[in-house]
Amino acid sequence: MAVHECDVCVIGGGITAALLIERLAALKPNLRITAVEAGRSIFDRQNRPTYHRRAIEYGEHPWHDDYIEDQQAKGMISMTMAVGGQALHWGGACNRFSAEDLRLKSLYGLADDWPIEWDELERYYVQAEHRLNVAGDPSPYAEDRRSAPYAQPAMPLSFNLQVLKKWAEQSGLKFSPLPMARNITGPTDGRGACGLYDTCGEVCPTGARYSPDYTYQQMIAAKKVTLHDRTLIRRLTLADGRDTIAAAVGHHQDRPNDPTEYRARLFVLASGQCWSSHLLLLSASSRFPNGVANRSGLVGRYMNGHKFISAQASIAEETFPGQNLTHSLISREYFRCAPGQPFVRHDTRVWESSAGREPRLRAADGRLLLGDELLNDWRARALDGSSVRLRTYYDSHPSADSRLTLDPASKNRYGDPLPKIEHRLDAAAAAREGATLAHCTAVFERMVKASGGRLTGAPTVSSYWDHPAGGCRMGTDPAHSVCDSFGRSHDHENLFVIGAPTLPTGGCTNGTLTFVALSLRSAERIAEAV
Amino acid sequence: MKRRQALKALTAAAAVPWLRVELRADEIPQEQVFVLRDVAPTVLPSAIGANGQHEAVDNFLRWIREYKEGVALSHGYGDPRLVKSGPTPAPSYTQQLIALQQAAQARGGRFGALALETRRELLDAALRAADVRTLPGRPDGKHVVADLMAHYFRSSAANDLCYRAQIGRHTYRAIRVTTVRPAPLRG
Repeated sequence: MAVHECDVCVIGGGITAALLIERLAALKPNLRITAVEAGRSIFDRQNRPTYHRRAIEYGEHPWHDDYIEDQQAKGMISMTMAVGGQALHWGGACNRFSAEDLRLKSLYGLADDWPIEWDELERYYVQAEHRLNVAGDPSPYAEDRRSAPYAQPAMPLSFNLQVLKKWAEQSGLKFSPLPMARNITGPTDGRGACGLYDTCGEVCPTGARYSPDYTYQQMIAAKKVTLHDRTLIRRLTLADGRDTIAAAVGHHQDRPNDPTEYRARLFVLASGQCWSSHLLLLSASSRFPNGVANRSGLVGRYMNGHKFISAQASIAEETFPGQNLTHSLISREYFRCAPGQPFVRHDTRVWESSAGREPRLRAADGRLLLGDELLNDWRARALDGSSVRLRTYYDSHPSADSRLTLDPASKNRYGDPLPKIEHRLDAAAAAREGATLAHCTAVFERMVKASGGRLTGAPTVSSYWDHPAGGCRMGTDPAHSVCDSFGRSHDHENLFVIGAPTLPTGGCTNGTLTFVALSLRSAERIAEAV
Repeated sequence: MKRRQALKALTAAAAVPWLRVELRADEIPQEQVFVLRDVAPTVLPSAIGANGQHEAVDNFLRWIREYKEGVALSHGYGDPRLVKSGPTPAPSYTQQLIALQQAAQARGGRFGALALETRRELLDAALRAADVRTLPGRPDGKHVVADLMAHYFRSSAANDLCYRAQIGRHTYRAIRVTTVRPAPLRG
């Protein structure tokens, strides 16, 4: 068996690993840090304009071979497994959670409190926003206090979003531009400036939208990290007679019969909400029969994220769809829930849309439309007001049975059972589902009624939980949590879990900024520990 | 060899089957390209003019030529699935254009010379036979005419034409350009 030794072994190569390593290398410049990622490196930025074009013209996936066909999880929302992870093709939304997310139990008697104070997390939000070069404006809600400005002013609102902001605010809700991790004011950190290709969620031709592959390339060039890609870690092994982790054992895709043992003083599990819990469960041994870091029995439990409610509206105002489809407005009006009121928390989002106003082949009576007829039919519908896309991400508290389990019916090439994720609400959250839908529908109706618009259909609840997290929740009590607030395992002093898996609850807006902020906080503790 | 003689020889060579240049599997034969160009003025808007229609067909032919088989398509998000692109649609496009030409001849001649309602009838039948119910989001290989229409009408240029404005969806734009009402379309 090949042996690789380092000071810190980071398992996973996504956005939280990238920013943790960058911070760790700054705090302890001489640390030998190795990152091990199951997927491949896709360091071909020169090809991205071509990938962008082909994604639009052919629907091709712009990140070639960013998946491992026999390493997929049931219930996972993305197939991507590559250096950079799902943040290779994220939209770049960088919303903060609010103080209420950290105090659900204390304020509302629901779910659990986080073992961290808001003011402390807020400082790491600032760090994360600067590392990601987030463009944003201060929230119009005074409760959303911040200790420092964003790295850049907000992405300027398109003409369409200016129209929609005016429209939406007639309801009394206050909206602001969605904070985005995009280079707005010019090239920064080796990445280009935004050229509004408007395909952030697929591929950014200029690199303006933050993408971790740039960070890895810079760190590799500066010898801050050794990257072993295409290497799947399958087990964590314990030191003889001690509870510390001795090694991570993995297989390179080209050498399936020749495992490599990674020995390190400290291990950081940065494999996201799915593969972090999976590896811990797979690493069961006679001393830890339920898996590593799992004396509490909570690894793979309280899998969270949030559900969302979507709707389309038709309004009288004129817009020009296609200006900036990936940018949106956000209202944080319902981040807080007044005491004594039925509990509901959600963000409220507004996008430009062309839904229902697209070109069509047949008229309403089924007649085939040709050439000018098709254009005239399209134009008549397109210029008669506008469509608006509405969405709320709402607070969806998981039960202990919201789980990731090992699925014996599905195995990878090594015979390891693959993960199966099944999200479940806790009893209180399940009981208020109907009221939440009614509330969000009422918010949408209030918005359209204030301006003479209409909803074009009944709002619908998502079939999956977005921005998934959980599985290794943090807490102060080892009986009720997997790790402390820094991600340090209660059971193994040299094992940290970072980012998404550590969240006790998934908030009611995009989670990536929170995953990164928590990881930057973990980096400081890891630097002290190693 | 004089130029005229060379041309004569090349023409003669082309008549010998084993000397013919093999048509690539991802291309439509020239005869059927003529049919496609004959159909284009019926299914594309007159506002882009004959040159614009010719260019739209050229762009579609380029799309066919550059089509790649067996490539992973967007996995999607939420409920991802691995789907790969199918075989090149060029051979079925060719057959569909031959069939359309034959149907047109049976109704009196060249497609473009038929009465509008006859052309509509022929296309309607062809699209129903190919199970084309809606305008595809992008060409999907079901029928060459629906795919030509999708390739044009789903484009950024067609979006601009519809709104009579320079929106430039999915093209490089300075951010400041999008912060104001789009300029009217030129021409």
